[in-house]
Amino acid sequence: MATIAPQKIATVFRRPEATTGFWSWITTVDHKKIAVMYGYTAFGFFIVGGIEALLLRIQLAGPDGTFLTAAQYNGLFTTHAVTMIFLFVMPMASAFFNYLLPLMLGARDVAFPRMNAVSYWIFLFGGIFIYSSLFFATNPAPLGGNLPGGALDASPLGSIPNGGWFLYAPNSGTQFSPGTSIDYAALGLQILGIASLISAVNFIVTIFNMRTKGMRLLRMPVFVWMTLIVAFLLLFSLPIIAIALFMLTADRQFGSVFFVASSGGDPILWQNLFWLFGHPEVYILILPAMGMVSEVLPVFSRKPLFGYPAIVFAGGAIAFLGFGVWAHHMFSSDIPTVAQAAFGLSTMTIAIPTGIKIFNWIATIWGGRIRLKTPMLFSLGFVALFVIGGLSGVTHAIVPSDWQQTDTYYIVAHFHYVLFGGAVFGLFSGLYYWFPKLTGRMYNERLGQVHFGLMFLGTNLTFGPMHWLGLQGMVRRTWVYSADTGLGPWNMVVSIGAFIIALSIFVFMVNWTWSKRKGEIAPNDPWDARTLEWTIPSPTPEYNFGVEPTVTALDDFWHQKYDEDDEGRAVRRPEADELVDRLIEANGNPTTEIHLPAPSYFPIIAGFGMMLLAYGIIYHTRPWGIPLIVVGILMLISSLLGWGGEPLEEVHEEHLDGQGDSDHDPGSLDPNQESTPRELAGVED
Amino acid sequence: MSDIVHDDLTESADDHDSHGHHESTGVDNRKLGMWFFLSSEFLFFGTLITNYLLFKGRDFGPGSIYPVEFYDIPFTSISSFVLLMSSLTMVLAHAALVRGDQNQTRTWLAATGMLGLVFVSGQFFEFTEFVNEGLKLTTNPAASAFFLLTGFHGIHVVVGVVLLLSLWGKSVRQPGGLSPEQGLSVELVGLYWHFVDIIWIVIFVVVYLIQ
Amino acid sequence: MSQAVEVHHPKPKDYIRIAVVLGILTGFEIALFYLESAVGDDLPGWVFPVALLSLSAIKFLMVVAYFMHLRYEKPMLSRVFSIGAVLALSLFLILLAISGQIVVFG
Repeated sequence: MATIAPQKIATVFRRPEATTGFWSWITTVDHKKIAVMYGYTAFGFFIVGGIEALLLRIQLAGPDGTFLTAAQYNGLFTTHAVTMIFLFVMPMASAFFNYLLPLMLGARDVAFPRMNAVSYWIFLFGGIFIYSSLFFATNPAPLGGNLPGGALDASPLGSIPNGGWFLYAPNSGTQFSPGTSIDYAALGLQILGIASLISAVNFIVTIFNMRTKGMRLLRMPVFVWMTLIVAFLLLFSLPIIAIALFMLTADRQFGSVFFVASSGGDPILWQNLFWLFGHPEVYILILPAMGMVSEVLPVFSRKPLFGYPAIVFAGGAIAFLGFGVWAHHMFSSDIPTVAQAAFGLSTMTIAIPTGIKIFNWIATIWGGRIRLKTPMLFSLGFVALFVIGGLSGVTHAIVPSDWQQTDTYYIVAHFHYVLFGGAVFGLFSGLYYWFPKLTGRMYNERLGQVHFGLMFLGTNLTFGPMHWLGLQGMVRRTWVYSADTGLGPWNMVVSIGAFIIALSIFVFMVNWTWSKRKGEIAPNDPWDARTLEWTIPSPTPEYNFGVEPTVTALDDFWHQKYDEDDEGRAVRRPEADELVDRLIEANGNPTTEIHLPAPSYFPIIAGFGMMLLAYGIIYHTRPWGIPLIVVGILMLISSLLGWGGEPLEEVHEEHLDGQGDSDHDPGSLDPNQESTPRELAGVED
Repeated sequence: MSDIVHDDLTESADDHDSHGHHESTGVDNRKLGMWFFLSSEFLFFGTLITNYLLFKGRDFGPGSIYPVEFYDIPFTSISSFVLLMSSLTMVLAHAALVRGDQNQTRTWLAATGMLGLVFVSGQFFEFTEFVNEGLKLTTNPAASAFFLLTGFHGIHVVVGVVLLLSLWGKSVRQPGGLSPEQGLSVELVGLYWHFVDIIWIVIFVVVYLIQ
Repeated sequence: MSQAVEVHHPKPKDYIRIAVVLGILTGFEIALFYLESAVGDDLPGWVFPVALLSLSAIKFLMVVAYFMHLRYEKPMLSRVFSIGAVLALSLFLILLAISGQIVVFG
């Protein structure tokens, strides 16, 4: 009864059928399952990146550390950054985008469900590819190099990429990095970039096209807006880094000389291209968290979000300005003085939209009846820590000040306050807030608050002292400092703080695993929320909405539950509870047939092919290199063509009335039906 | 379902759109996605072109050579013209499909693919000539940038040719020609193809003619 | 939506006409190129580049407007397309400027 493709195209594989178990995950195109896979994968990488950070902190806990060699230290700070940025924060945000976009917009799925699965698999294999450098890559010492630590290849961890996440030229060139580890980083980032570009297009189209009735752009939740802005940033910044990484790979693998100064190449060009991407990337990391906080704060203050349009437009302004400030990462490079002044000014202007957001959040809390539940605590922590990180950021905009701070721990302190205190606190706020939606159970509130307390303490102990360590002159990316610098005591505090953070994450994991199975069953509307995802049962049914929602206002769900009294205060309508139960009851029991996108094997094949292709490029001089490239490309092409021949949708419930069947068939070629292609099913690849 | 579609046609998009099955903006998902993708490709080729402009006139020391010295403008003019005309055949293929003329669609699709192949072969020939005359990827950054830019453009053309040929193959194999669904694919491949063409319009002037 | 728009679409004859114009413009470009090598020294340096860039911009816009149907589509698509074009143009002009390729900062 499922729909039939316009014509049968022979495929090697049987159509996947499993709906539970291992194969259902491998072949799924359901945005919720993909979100869960993104989430767990990202969290796995978060643990890895965290362990790397702890190793670094053990080394730096006291002066003249001997725990790590210089080479290991270089590798660990590089993979720590790459992991946290590309393998944790971005995919974790992507997990939220995937799970929530269709639910918040009132849609069945994202616009391109199979492309969505492709993004995930490419991301996963990209991550595996980067970490496979642990086993396959090499890091021989450069000619004439005299780094203490000696032969870099022999030690464990000695073969991971070690050029910093920014892979600055000329250090990343073959002269100074003769092994293959940099190739793993460059091609791995390339793969991850492709995954992000695909999901960016997917999310943008989803947001523009999959909105339910009445969901005008300015009625969308702020989280959806921030997702849209992030997707735009990805869309327009990733092509730049793609070319830069191609140039680096070509330099290393095929003998081009873009960044080789002795042949007339230009290492500064790398810096420009990298930061042309790298600065928008910073907002790619923080805006999703800002979106989540903007959802959490009003719910737990029991007030509408203050200045919704201002927050939305400020997000857009941050993104737009974010493209015009890249050179502030390069003030100590050779760029003209006037350009330095211009980029300093443009950087300072970013404080304006950021300030608008912060004032709006504070005004949202102001006078609210605040419930200090864990998500709220994390959101408040976000605001506090992000303000600190934002303020220290403004000090980098002042060029002479930046010259003093550049490459010191002051910078490390700054970006950890915005990325850890900001983005990661925001993500945890979201994880707690939507936990009942995901699992149908409540997390343990007490453990959640312990987690918050430890993490807030740990964050400030870890990253706070880095400010003054940096101002005292402690340089970044250096594996030892001597005792007579006097930097020892504060470094010990920093390292203790790092372990407190680790402990807090352990508490979180205990809470999560326990609550997922044994937590209290979540009530229908546990937070008295405002957005559409809370009008459906928890955990979310496969088809999302049993009844297509219609929206008449911003925070429509909340307006249905609340009225205003004479003084403008929100008053819960007496019938609100009954309304919530009725809505959720209706959404849990669909009365019509529901089309769901069909599972597919091809996304995972495409992702795997991409990884093989990357290996082939690194080893193209070996006899098996070229065959690997060919196999990789063939897997990519065949999976793309293969899914072109798969049916798009399957029908959710099988025994509903047969009438109208042919109308529901997206592939039917009824000659009487005057359908142009674009009227066919909305969910398609 | 078709009732809903027709209701949708008479209403303005943003306010009265129906459920996710239909596009809130009134533009098909795939088409909207393609336009966004092409928009981001500006940044892709923008970086490549900038890269070339940055290096094309730099002093690489005594005896340095530049791609400009190797250009064969008459030859490149002809291949530019070929690519330009392939845009015409592409648009004719789409127009034929809209009319429902499957035969012409098939012909024009094949013609477009062939013209694309001619262009790529021309580029291959140009590269071979340059390399034989001593301009290689490894010569200097200007040469590297030239090969990377035109090479990536060439890869885009090749991808386009593959897409065109696969559509052409379907239109030959299937008894009724291309389905409406695949008609959208023709439109999308067309958009991509024209985009590759306009990028060459820019490259032809900025890289080849302005020296 | 789409069908109402489809009515105004150019006919194949129109497409051929547009292609002829595009071909002629390309001819102008090539002619300008050779003209420059002949008389370029007598004119200010910016004349030929500006003329060539204008011709290329016209060709670009014609292909986008007619072959890519952007003229006949919803204005939203034009906006989508221009974002990338304008962003790329401005970013890379700034990059060329701070790399000293375009003299802006004296």
